[in-house]
Amino acid sequence: MILLRAAVVILIILMAVPQVNPARMSELINKNSALLTTALSRTSLLGDFSRPLKRGWVAGGTLDLLYIAALLTALSIAATGAGWCMSLGEKRLKKLGAKIVTIASASGILALLLMIPVYISFISSGYVNRLDPMFPPGFFVFIGAFLICFVLGLINYIKLPRPAENEGYEMKPKYKLFLMILPFVILCFAFAYLPLWGWRYALFDYKPGRELTWDRFVGLKWFTFLFQNPATRADIARVLRNTLVMSGLGLAFSWLPMAFAIFLAEIRSSKVSRVVQTCTTIPNFISWVLVYSFAFALFSTEGFVNSLLINMGIIKEGVNYLMSGEHIWLKMWAWGTWKGLGWSAIIYIAGISGIDIQLYEAATIDGAGRFKRMWYITVPGLLPTFFVLLLLSVAGILSNGMEQYFVFKNSANKQTIEVLDLYVYILGLGSGGSGNIPLATAVGMMKSLISITLLFAANWASKLIRGESIV
Amino acid sequence: MSIALKEEKKPRLYRVKKRGFKRTPGDIVFNILNYTFFISFTLICIFPFYYLFINTISDNELVRTGQINFIPRGIHFNNYLMLSNVNDLGTSALVSVARTVIGTAFMVFASAFVGYLVTKKEMWGRKFVYRFMIVTMYFNAGLIPWYLNMSMLGLTNTFWAYVIPGIVAPFNIILVKTYIESIPAELEESAFIDGAGHFTIFRKIIWPLSKPILATIAVFGAVGHWNNFVDSMILMSNKPQLYTLQYRLYIYLQTSNNLAELMRGGKISEAALNAALNARTVKLTVAMITILPIILVYPFMSRYFEKGIMIGAIKG
Repeated sequence: MILLRAAVVILIILMAVPQVNPARMSELINKNSALLTTALSRTSLLGDFSRPLKRGWVAGGTLDLLYIAALLTALSIAATGAGWCMSLGEKRLKKLGAKIVTIASASGILALLLMIPVYISFISSGYVNRLDPMFPPGFFVFIGAFLICFVLGLINYIKLPRPAENEGYEMKPKYKLFLMILPFVILCFAFAYLPLWGWRYALFDYKPGRELTWDRFVGLKWFTFLFQNPATRADIARVLRNTLVMSGLGLAFSWLPMAFAIFLAEIRSSKVSRVVQTCTTIPNFISWVLVYSFAFALFSTEGFVNSLLINMGIIKEGVNYLMSGEHIWLKMWAWGTWKGLGWSAIIYIAGISGIDIQLYEAATIDGAGRFKRMWYITVPGLLPTFFVLLLLSVAGILSNGMEQYFVFKNSANKQTIEVLDLYVYILGLGSGGSGNIPLATAVGMMKSLISITLLFAANWASKLIRGESIV
Repeated sequence: MSIALKEEKKPRLYRVKKRGFKRTPGDIVFNILNYTFFISFTLICIFPFYYLFINTISDNELVRTGQINFIPRGIHFNNYLMLSNVNDLGTSALVSVARTVIGTAFMVFASAFVGYLVTKKEMWGRKFVYRFMIVTMYFNAGLIPWYLNMSMLGLTNTFWAYVIPGIVAPFNIILVKTYIESIPAELEESAFIDGAGHFTIFRKIIWPLSKPILATIAVFGAVGHWNNFVDSMILMSNKPQLYTLQYRLYIYLQTSNNLAELMRGGKISEAALNAALNARTVKLTVAMITILPIILVYPFMSRYFEKGIMIGAIKG
């Protein structure tokens, strides 16, 4: 049974591997799409066949047959998956599961055989060099995998004892619950763990559209290239400086939200403090594109600041403040503060409301003034929260995100605005398909590793200082 | 990370001084300074919204010459009416709305269901499954591997690329799980004794009872979906009809003048043309309609926003 389950799992994984796509009967089919992709979307299978179809090199029916065969194969694999789930059940369900795997494997083989006529018609069409037919190695891989599943399924089906007549299809609750959560685990795997597999690109000489083959394996070339090539070395130094300065500004002013909350608490009128709180949180909920559109409205040549200054007769000509490269770090910090200050203060406002009011009363009776109460009661009460957030932002010192800097970037401020995240994007994807994907992956990889190390360090520091972990 | 659920209460700020206390001159100076600071920061926060709005409804000629700074003049709504001439805008708005609604619905359902399932102690491999999902909050492979992964999975240039990756949201799962754990276990047990299955218990008991937390994560999820433009930019390179409104706006802000020309190219009457549309007003108008949903829902949602951060507060 375990062998059967393992075989089915391997079969399902194979479905997502582009190199063994059995439906790739021609070089025209994208070499980076796996069986799963081709079965789900017809265009990904037949996208490049529009010319051969128009010229009549290949009949439409042939391609339909190929697509249907791919779809049926995928469906058979899905059915073996269903059988796998059932095999977790009690006797009767288990037997049914083995049966379904057996039948589904057989139908998978039949579906694969449907692809052979497609190949033959490609070869005999008279346009062999146009269609570039090939017999994919994945075909045999899948035939083999199906055969193994078929045989194992059959053996299990015969070996399993015949269930009693009155026995229903039952499964233990622990497996039932597991199967319910399984789809989400798979999603999580596909979007959080599978990208790690993409790190291999950093070790290859890869260009978009090409295949990863072992003769393009370059080892750590990109990592050494990064530090040996003077141009990239200068880039990295510049980008790191920008990143660290901007993160450093954020760290240096990380007490601002706390101060904001403390002084807001001094406002007696609850109506005023309510309005202040509401209005200062709104900016947190608009995107950076919209923040940029505000910047455009206020600071561009025809913007608010310029027209105000011109109307007052202070300047004659409008200046486009967005196109200047001066004080970019400070400006970026200011926009970040504008957007986030009110929002970050909420956590401290909640913290203040959690401080025992008797402490303040006692302090007042003892003669403590307003500032003394703030300094000796409120601040110590908020410090634990402050330290946790500070440690987390130290851990995130390399990750300022790219959105803000991306929208504000232009030719004038390029030198000082590019942070690490933005640099990775521009290096890999930003130049219209001619980016250096391996190099960008290498940079991103190092960033990820440093970030996770910093996070562990922050956690360790927190344990050391406060005896509590933060993650 | 320990998450503390605070019982629902309004932030109660300490007020020590009651009637009968005398205010010293120092107090008065402090109050004046304090009020001045907060009122000016509040104005700075909302003025851009206001400025954008008055510039889209005022007379375009006055806007162009920089006459509209504080008070709207020559009010008209032609700018908004003319947006219908920009073809791409309608589809983009539709895509944005669709991804926000569908993406949020999927995410909320998944968070609720997974949050419920991971509270079930009898699940096979529960601890592993839970950690497997939660750990993903703390690392990511980086932008390029993420993009390559999406294209490997065949999600580039499809609408589902907006929805599927966001379905499993670890942080929201933690929130829902914590909340469900605070629901009395007896409710579930009695339903179980009455013969209800996991799906029934989820639907009839867990879902209705955890509505407050679900509303909170829904609001956050929706804002995130509405505001995201990077995925549009990176994943939809061959499918401009799938661009979101935010990315459209970004493109418009980057192009210099051709948008106004685009609108003039439409079937607009001479009189309307004379209303002198200029590129700047158009950009501002598009920005305005992109902000509008956020501003419209904000008053109703702000309590959820605040609850969200209270619940998610990392307790020191």
